[in-house]
Amino acid sequence: MTMIEYARKGGTKILALGSHRPIIQSVLDFDFLSGKSSPSIVGLIAGNRKAEKYFFGQNEVLIPCYRDINEAQAAAKKVAWMLNLQSGRRALESTVGFFETFPQALGGHIFAENVPEKHATELIRHFSQKYFIAGPSGVGLLIPSALKLGAIGGVDLRQISASKLSTPGSVAVISTSGGMTNELIRAVADAGKRISFAAAIGGDRFPITSLTEMLAFAQADKNTKALVYFGELGGVDECEIVEMLKSKKFTKPIVAYIAGVIDEAFDEHMQFGHAKALVASKDESARAKRDALRSAGAIVGETFPEFLKALVKLPEKAFSDKEINIEKIMSREKSILSTREIIDFERAPVFVRGKKLLAKGDGVFVKTILEALLGRPVKSKITSAFAEAVFTLLVDHGGHVSGAVNTMITARAGKDLVSSLAAGLLTVGPRFGGAVNAAARVWLEGVANKIKSAELVESKAKAGELIPGIGHLKYRVGLPDPRVKELSEFAALLKEHRYYDFAREIEKITTRKNGKLILNIDGAIAALFLDILRECERFSENELRELIDAELFNAFFVIPRSVGFIAHFIEQKKNDEGLFRLPDELLFVRKKKIK
Amino acid sequence: MPRVKITEYRAKKLLLGESYRGISVKADEPMKLPKSGRFVAKVDQGVKKRMKKGLVLLNQSVQGIRRALSRWNRKGFSRFLVEPLVKHNEKDEQYLSLERVREGIRLLHAKAGGVDIESRPEAIVNFIIKSDSDIKTAARKTKIPENFLSRVLDVFEKDFLAFLEINPLVVAGGKVYPLDAAALIDNAGIFFVKGDWSEDDIVSRARSYPAEKHIDDLAKTSAASFKLTVLNPNGSLFFLLSGGGGSIVIADEAELRGAGKEIGNYGEYSGGPTREETYLYAKEVIGLLLKSKAKRKALVIAGGVANFTDIRETFLGIIDALAESADVLSKARVKVFVRRGGPNEREGLELMKAFLKKEKLLGAVYGSDAVITKAVDDAINFVKRK
Repeated sequence: MTMIEYARKGGTKILALGSHRPIIQSVLDFDFLSGKSSPSIVGLIAGNRKAEKYFFGQNEVLIPCYRDINEAQAAAKKVAWMLNLQSGRRALESTVGFFETFPQALGGHIFAENVPEKHATELIRHFSQKYFIAGPSGVGLLIPSALKLGAIGGVDLRQISASKLSTPGSVAVISTSGGMTNELIRAVADAGKRISFAAAIGGDRFPITSLTEMLAFAQADKNTKALVYFGELGGVDECEIVEMLKSKKFTKPIVAYIAGVIDEAFDEHMQFGHAKALVASKDESARAKRDALRSAGAIVGETFPEFLKALVKLPEKAFSDKEINIEKIMSREKSILSTREIIDFERAPVFVRGKKLLAKGDGVFVKTILEALLGRPVKSKITSAFAEAVFTLLVDHGGHVSGAVNTMITARAGKDLVSSLAAGLLTVGPRFGGAVNAAARVWLEGVANKIKSAELVESKAKAGELIPGIGHLKYRVGLPDPRVKELSEFAALLKEHRYYDFAREIEKITTRKNGKLILNIDGAIAALFLDILRECERFSENELRELIDAELFNAFFVIPRSVGFIAHFIEQKKNDEGLFRLPDELLFVRKKKIK
Repeated sequence: MPRVKITEYRAKKLLLGESYRGISVKADEPMKLPKSGRFVAKVDQGVKKRMKKGLVLLNQSVQGIRRALSRWNRKGFSRFLVEPLVKHNEKDEQYLSLERVREGIRLLHAKAGGVDIESRPEAIVNFIIKSDSDIKTAARKTKIPENFLSRVLDVFEKDFLAFLEINPLVVAGGKVYPLDAAALIDNAGIFFVKGDWSEDDIVSRARSYPAEKHIDDLAKTSAASFKLTVLNPNGSLFFLLSGGGGSIVIADEAELRGAGKEIGNYGEYSGGPTREETYLYAKEVIGLLLKSKAKRKALVIAGGVANFTDIRETFLGIIDALAESADVLSKARVKVFVRRGGPNEREGLELMKAFLKKEKLLGAVYGSDAVITKAVDDAINFVKRK
């Protein structure tokens, strides 16, 4: 069985050495379009982060990053292919490291241009007999619906879809030029055929797997019924094809195009785009190669359109393409910072039901905290149970709130736990989480001064001020905040709840103006806690005022939310996606230069 | 560009080290020549068949050397090599060359060297060097002293050479001296040679047009790839091509359709250039087009289906360049023909089409569903129309 057949049978796990976002994303897109349940890339060896985020279909996935090959070996099992995306300078060292660590692998692709010839010949000596290695340079290896190892077939979802890369067929494509590999794959699809496999030899002088070896793969591959080849002037590779055709080592039909007759228009031989594309002797000219191939029985297009016409006549078995709506996938949007789900409390936990306390309120930890904050022993279970309920509800509200964002960005900048937590906490104030204390003051003074709710609303409105504890972005009359609803049940446990009643009176007035101006979680906590402290813990009005002056009520937000921030911090450190930078489109709209 | 020529001076310095007495002379730097002696002077710019072209002078005095150098300088040459004359017998001249091949290093040797070696291929013996023992064998059979051969191979490996030709190599009484040496280095090895050779030793191709030089400079300072060669300054087809392989296919089409003489330039950009880089490249090509005296002129913006090069981004760069000369272009009734595919193809093509239409430059705009040669075909039809 050849490496290609092994891959068709499922040997497709890839370890990427280095990172190249468009290529890696295109491999995942190919996997998804081919109906795989998970990405074929099992990890990246890249820098000092733990994961990089990519799309798999419409969803985001984290691809783990490893610091070096040894770490990868311990974590990634059954790796079959190397996708070497490192620079030419590092290609030798990293490739040797990979195959020494994963001797059971099937092959790989070296993407870099500018791999020194000396290094390439060394790689040939070590590995060309055992593995299928496309490159150096070029776009890699593609086996429809099984393996996409490199940029081959394109990096754009539309391109991958247009070239029908998830439908296996009978035509092998081999090309010296990366760009033309894609052009040929597309041309085969447009000619109503599908490919059996495609490989770019790479434009370098010393490809690890040579043209002869690739032809031998095509000959041995049962699925391959014909070969399409693109070559250029320079080098003598095509002599290998001629040799194989003449000696019957290759017996399948070949359609070829050899580019470079334009060289005849120059005074001196030109060095074209690829390193090898320079005519050094007469046999290396495009015309000489075309003639030699024709004489050995290959169909060689004189012009490119002629070459394309010849493709239509190639054999192909029946096939059917999977229909996939890619527009839907293309509308996917990157999460910017956090992969944690946004927490919306559709249902909040129940603390009190039918005037009975369901929460136990005997948690030692909560009781200890309360006693430390209040400076005296807690008398009632209701007080502890209420604090416990508040802590439970306020631990986290998802990654999109300002404090969590600050924490995560600080963590991504490589800072420590305390710095990141502090950065998050520093956003707590009048607009975020800091309204509990302010609301407590409004309720306390309103009741103390017997202010009519309508007057209070009127005076605040006149002064253009908001009432702390009132208003929500999402919840409104008819769509109550479930947290407020469950907390409010605590009122039923009390003989009297003047602060809570006052807050509800205010709400009655504000919601007449705007359904969103409901009593929010901050306001409810403030009101109920005031009532509980007064009735269950016997706090006088003055004692309550002292607590408000000391900003105690904000502590009921800060304490649980610190835990939430730490959780976000830990998530960021685990994923370790590197320094965070706002996407440009969030900052400004780039001015177009054209009028 | 992996295989490139270096100066003979540097090649010999690598081979002979400190003992080498040659002097490298640049036209714009003061000459430091010894006061007396007999010398050899050569133009050292990788020119082939120097002897036949009169670019080598043997057995000269210092004054003779100075005269020769200023004469060559007037002809436009700028780099020279001056060496003390080495007297030798013509019968001691041998031929030696090394080239890196897939299997190892191929060594060619001929007992009788000289300028006409190419006409006597039968005199050449062939070795493939893979190990030290191969060097021993080659030394024994060629009778080239083994320590010299080992040193040459050592330098070849250590300094990332790709090709080395010593002709003639003088071998007399156990002493060896390379009279004439030409070397290609593998440019990709520059990081590993630790300064043994540098960019400065690379012989650059003579560039006749400022536009070509500007593009060479652009290529040196970018991660992307840019190439430009002027073919016929008064041609009617000007190319803004992309991709190493695709650009040749498109240029081929013009040649095959008999429009080879109409091609103003060949070149390509690839490897994901930025908008700004593409602008600079396009500007040079548009400049060439405007200078051409041809009556009907077309610009062909074409390439294969790109791997990563962002079509929208690069087309914005081309539009920036076209916009600068839009009036002149439309007055000269230039038409632009486009065929391109790749990432953000749809957006890029739409932008280009809208712009060309507005500026009355529109020839045709095709995407990846059209044949790669479609734009150049249309352009040829356009310029040939009477």
